[in-house]
Amino acid sequence: MSHDLDALQARIDGGGRVTADEALFLYRSAPTWWLGRMADLVRRRKHPEGIVTYIIDRNVNYTNVCVARCNFCAFYRPVGHGEGYVLGFDEIFRKIDETIALGGVQLLLQGGHNPDLPIEWYEDLFRAVKARYPSFKLHALSPPEVLHLSRTSRLPVPEVIQRLIAAGLDSIPGGGAEILVDRVRKLLNCYGKATADEWLDVMRHAHQAGLRTTATMMYGTVETDEERLEHMLRLRALQDETRGFTAFIAWSYQPEHTERGGREATGIEYLRTLALARLVLDNFDNLQASWVTQGGKVGQLSLAFGANDMGSVMIEENVVRAAGAAYCMDEVEIVRNVEDAGFVAMRRNMHYEVLGEPIFRQRDVPRQLELATAREAGDTSVPSELMNYPARSAAGKRQRAQQPPSPVA
Amino acid sequence: MIEIEINTAIAERARGGERLTAAELAELDASDVLSLGMLSDEIRRARVGDTVSYLRVLDVAAGEPLDDALSTRAASCGEVRLATPAETLAATVDLVQRVRALLGAGIRLTGFSLADVASRPWGPLEEVLAALKAAGLDAIAEAPVDLVSPDQVAAVRAVGLGLVTLSVQRLDEGRLAVLERARAVLEVNPHLTTFAPLAREQSIATPTTGYSDVRLVALARIALPEVRTIQVDWQQYGPKLAQVALTFGANHLDRVAPTDDPALGWRRASVEEVRRNIEAAGFTPVEQGPA
Ligand code: SF4
Repeated sequence: MSHDLDALQARIDGGGRVTADEALFLYRSAPTWWLGRMADLVRRRKHPEGIVTYIIDRNVNYTNVCVARCNFCAFYRPVGHGEGYVLGFDEIFRKIDETIALGGVQLLLQGGHNPDLPIEWYEDLFRAVKARYPSFKLHALSPPEVLHLSRTSRLPVPEVIQRLIAAGLDSIPGGGAEILVDRVRKLLNCYGKATADEWLDVMRHAHQAGLRTTATMMYGTVETDEERLEHMLRLRALQDETRGFTAFIAWSYQPEHTERGGREATGIEYLRTLALARLVLDNFDNLQASWVTQGGKVGQLSLAFGANDMGSVMIEENVVRAAGAAYCMDEVEIVRNVEDAGFVAMRRNMHYEVLGEPIFRQRDVPRQLELATAREAGDTSVPSELMNYPARSAAGKRQRAQQPPSPVA
Repeated sequence: MIEIEINTAIAERARGGERLTAAELAELDASDVLSLGMLSDEIRRARVGDTVSYLRVLDVAAGEPLDDALSTRAASCGEVRLATPAETLAATVDLVQRVRALLGAGIRLTGFSLADVASRPWGPLEEVLAALKAAGLDAIAEAPVDLVSPDQVAAVRAVGLGLVTLSVQRLDEGRLAVLERARAVLEVNPHLTTFAPLAREQSIATPTTGYSDVRLVALARIALPEVRTIQVDWQQYGPKLAQVALTFGANHLDRVAPTDDPALGWRRASVEEVRRNIEAAGFTPVEQGPA
């Protein structure tokens, strides 16, 4: 397999599409410089104004209890485990207050597949959030979580999505995609939580229901180059159909403390993957830099390899940290990096609409040199409102039998 | 063809190994970061090929127990490096002697920043350096070009000590200023061929950025044709940035941990990890020492 780089350059330059075969050739054989420069060219064409965006939000993991048991995950705890937790509504409100104080506009709310949280718990939570913070956005529940709710509530996916929207869901994060190839998903033990088709189908329904979503890719486990590409091509095909994806985010598998173990893909592999995504995903406007997995320095260099967004000013992060990476960038640091790279830094919302200049230039915001966690270590308290919802697991039933129901917040 | 977006005349002079003016370096510094990297990579391959060397270094921190365990750990290393001088010259000489006695003659023993040694009130620099050499030191570990003068660097050679690398302590004056200082040192010390351009000290709140680091590495490669080895500290900068720096003109990874110390975490520990990163960047790894 060999292709003419100059001919491909001319085609990409002219806005033409890269085929699967050509993309594989580029990924394996094109010089890193070539990929970077071409990705930069496409980024400039899509974002000629030289703006790099970021969002101030908080990544809250409402529960770490999960029955899926993906073997690449260092975050989850099985049902009944002493370190399992569910956040209380009050804890979540407190996190929202802190987020708003830092200029934040949304929660990225994701969690494990906890059998003891019925759909009503989510609806009540969303409604309570919207009642208290009407303009605050809920970017919540990745496709496997939606599927999990569909299974536990015995409702079809479109109905689950409609109910969640009615309760206040604003958009869906693209987590849980890993690699959208079933051979890989079986090896990662995440086929059960969602097959490739099921993941894409949830997104299709979400887009049809008028929600915008992101798409992610976790590479660097067992997949081949062809399978990484297949992942991108399946996203490209759905985007052709629905135009519902706002952004693509790739991150490298973080192996520490996981059942699967192994090594992390290197920084150069990240930059090549990112650049290739910019060339293949020609119908995606936005590509995020994953500084959370790559660190601030390579995160910033992503801006030269096709990224136009620095993702989230993370206030809290639990999942990647559990697997060994603990990088932190507050708004000051993100903006400094964006400007140092020669771009204009702007705050955005989940729809990638520009909200304005950095908050810290408008008012005093405390510097944040460390990420918060879901909970203080050792905090195993059980929120009182949980007792209002029926549990499905034996451990959950036992726990709830010990305490009487309490009024919903 | 992807073109390098850099003033052609400057690029040509750089390829020819000519000494670029301050204005030309400033223009390069302001150019597209990937173009700068492409030019630097091209020059690096022409000058030193596509190998990347790495060195396993056993760091000996102040107060570390000096016992047989140290000499066992040193066996797999290319170098044992003493971090900081002791309080007095006599105590520092004693430290060097004791480590030398533990190691025997075969292992390269280096130590200290020349800036640290020169700032002590221990008398004429040459006499101090001569005493360290007599105690068994093979080389001074580094000479930060922003903190020492060209003549102080010359004193190292004058007493017969080696110098592992020129370095940069802080980047306060900016990239171009430290390169000018490196040039001034190299003019007086033309025998030196190794430079570690990335700052040893960084602010925690505002560390140097990725762009700044790779620009500095690339500019060092281009601005200092006499320097064959551009080093990046593997432990300080970590695999991600260190690996990317290789593609911007660096060709040596310094301070790889001697053994797989789990305390460092695999990200910064193993030789296998270093080799994997070098290969994934498209280069051939070569270990330096042990002899
Ligand atoms: S990745 Fe998500 S679904 Fe899989 S085990 Fe972890 S928390 Fe559960």
